Amino acid sequence: MSFEGHLFLALLEGTVTGFVLALTALGLSLVFGVMRIVNVAHGEFFMLGAVIAWYFSTLPGGFLPALVAAPLLVGAAAFLADRLVLRRLEYKPESTIVATIGLLYIIQQLVLTVYGPYARPVAAPVYFRLDFPWFGYSGYKLVVAGVSAALLGATWLVMSRTTLGLYMRATQQDREMAQAFGVSVDRVYALVFALGAGLAAMAGALVVPIQQAHYLMGLDALLMSFIVVILGGLGSLGGTVAAAFLIGVSDGLVSVFFSPTLAKIVATLLVALVLVLRTGGLFGEEGT
Amino acid sequence: MTRLLETTGLSKTFDGLEAVRRVDFRLETGEIRAIIGPNGAGKTTLVSMISGRISPTSGRVLFKGKDVTGLRAWDRVALGIVYTFQVTSIFKNLTVFENVALAAQRRLMTGALSRLTLPQRTLAEHVQAALAQVGLPDAGDRHAGSLPYGHQKLLEVAMALALKPELLILDEPTQGLAPEEIAALSRLIRALSRGVTMLLIEHNMAVVLELATKVTVMDKGDILAEGTPSEVEAHPDVQKVYLGL
Amino acid sequence: MRRPGARAVWALHLAVILLLLGLQVVVPPFHQIMLARIMVLAVYAIGYNVLLGYAGLMSLGHAMLFASGMYATGLTILYFGVGAGAAFGLGVLASAVMATALGLVTLRASRVSFLIVTMMFSQAFYLATLYFNEITMGDQGFIISGQLAPLRAGGREFAFSDPAVKYNLALVVFALCLMLSVWLTRSPIGRVLVGVRENEERTRLLGYNPLSYKLLALIASGTIAGASGSLYTLMFSYVGSSFASILYSIYPLLWTLLGGTGTTLGPLLGTALMTYVVDIASGLTSSYLLLVGATLLILIMWFPAGVMGGIRTRWARWLP
Repeated sequence: MSFEGHLFLALLEGTVTGFVLALTALGLSLVFGVMRIVNVAHGEFFMLGAVIAWYFSTLPGGFLPALVAAPLLVGAAAFLADRLVLRRLEYKPESTIVATIGLLYIIQQLVLTVYGPYARPVAAPVYFRLDFPWFGYSGYKLVVAGVSAALLGATWLVMSRTTLGLYMRATQQDREMAQAFGVSVDRVYALVFALGAGLAAMAGALVVPIQQAHYLMGLDALLMSFIVVILGGLGSLGGTVAAAFLIGVSDGLVSVFFSPTLAKIVATLLVALVLVLRTGGLFGEEGT
Repeated sequence: MTRLLETTGLSKTFDGLEAVRRVDFRLETGEIRAIIGPNGAGKTTLVSMISGRISPTSGRVLFKGKDVTGLRAWDRVALGIVYTFQVTSIFKNLTVFENVALAAQRRLMTGALSRLTLPQRTLAEHVQAALAQVGLPDAGDRHAGSLPYGHQKLLEVAMALALKPELLILDEPTQGLAPEEIAALSRLIRALSRGVTMLLIEHNMAVVLELATKVTVMDKGDILAEGTPSEVEAHPDVQKVYLGL
Repeated sequence: MRRPGARAVWALHLAVILLLLGLQVVVPPFHQIMLARIMVLAVYAIGYNVLLGYAGLMSLGHAMLFASGMYATGLTILYFGVGAGAAFGLGVLASAVMATALGLVTLRASRVSFLIVTMMFSQAFYLATLYFNEITMGDQGFIISGQLAPLRAGGREFAFSDPAVKYNLALVVFALCLMLSVWLTRSPIGRVLVGVRENEERTRLLGYNPLSYKLLALIASGTIAGASGSLYTLMFSYVGSSFASILYSIYPLLWTLLGGTGTTLGPLLGTALMTYVVDIASGLTSSYLLLVGATLLILIMWFPAGVMGGIRTRWARWLP
């Protein structure tokens, strides 16, 4: 295959990765932004989505219902986790990190127990090929990109046009003030945590036909989401999407021409440095 | 009298807002200086720049003739500029002894070896001396957080004294204290002033008039007036701005 | 005078070391190896606790420091046939250098960012051990027993495969690090670190530069972690990428939380409890890491002070 072919493939793969990554990272970013906590278990919600999607694909109804069920089920689980765990810890940053590490292993190992250590493929619900001069390309990947784009748009609408979105933005800017104006911050937190997890689960379900479902797939999703969120600025929808594309495409380019591992090393180091050099820290107002 | 502290053209701007405007401030050794002024006059900002908690936007700070503008807070402490917080800032989870020991050992940590180990007895003597000075000789074993508020203020002063200051900056020391506690603290400040130059921000005019050898009045980031307590009290601008007359 | 029972503190720690010295005679071989492993891993936890317990900094990147000790020791033995003593020294040195570099870069970040940034650097290190798999053999790892000469002392040879050698080597390093940690926490530096943990701004205005003390704590912590990794390599003769993975950053956090953050004996206790629990569980199920997650969750929700922390508040206030 020619250089242009490789380049085009890298860009195409990068775009698809970028969309999925944007969807996954957006959930983390919302939780970061509104609740001001770091959810280390976010990748596991992604993995749960994928595994649930696999399960549905074995049922008579097939894969498609999973796109509704996975986010709902995972969102409900996250809602519970917020109520039972995070709220009791009063969302203290370090405690919630330890707790979500706990959740990470609990979810991951429960999936290992129930689902097993296998990487299971799922047939794409739609199958067609796009023929380019250099190679044929799976049409489903483009469908994934399209659905992701639609969901990103929908989230933007929720954030900017609905009362829930208004409450979320108010809480993000000033928790006490929001409370004083009658916003039930507790409820907003639980909903945001559920919404964040639901977005990750949706992304997980969407990629199963491309990636296969495996109980360890969450860690990579988590780290990539971290990178995107830190780069894009927390709670910023536009920033998250832009950063996801930057990471997706550059990851695609470096992976095609060098090695995927090297791509991850470079991205991780760069973003860690960004985080260190950004004054004010992760939440903009820490410091001192 | 010799000059202990001098600021020249000291300014601080927060987000375009001038909290302190080109202040030239002088302090002589042995003074008890009170800075008064309405809220937002820039008093705490000024002393924060003197102690090194915040760095000025422009201007210089000279301590004993030496330019200390570029020095960080911890280095200024080593020179003898000590600041006590407006809101008591002690180590609530540690014992009173540990609180003062942390301050006292700063003076004893003079070489590499002393950072690794210090003779317990010397340290304890320094701690005990500081606690006795403020009238808390028996409080060492108590948790700092369990002390009544007035005693927490005294603990702050003890920590400051253990640092062997030359200039002690007290930010609203009498705030929140009962009248008899205020009287006791005033006596303590007067007694200490024989060895230490005092710079206090104070709202309680009775305390200012009784204690201060000289008073500086600030308003909107500027020094409005300066003089003996009676001079300042009689100053028409001061009466208008501060005493609300 | 007011610091209670300096003698009692040293005596207690000495008693623990003597107890461990005596235990090897009475316990069956299986538990002797387990205890040796617990002691060397407890060294790792002691190092972690210096940073978390006394400076109040939570890191998720210690695997990188632990594994630096491992790889420096393992690789120099594998490729250059370096002796065990020198390889250990190189392991400790490598982790000290790594900790210094990590600290210079990451300590500028605030506390929560520090967690994330240390995790990311450690992850990059882990990925690097995979990427350079021609040298490190990546996930598969390598074994050094063929290249490792036995220790010679007093005309006798001590083979690392001998369980008694493993045990006593681990005990020596453990005892040294335990005493070092006790002494550090009682030293003027330890007092400043506690000050930084409790109220950084106040400590600054008592004349201390918090950043340099935090750096000192991180270097001490990382060096002790590296000593543990290096010794682990010598004792068990194996080095692999998994020791650099995030799980090995979470383990010392778990051990320290379980035993009691900011207590000198907590790391040993936490490591011992968890190592036995994980060992038993891994014999029963492949999902034994479930216990790791559940323990973390239970500790942070209901017992944030850990075992020793609980004992200290309830019965023995004088425990360091």
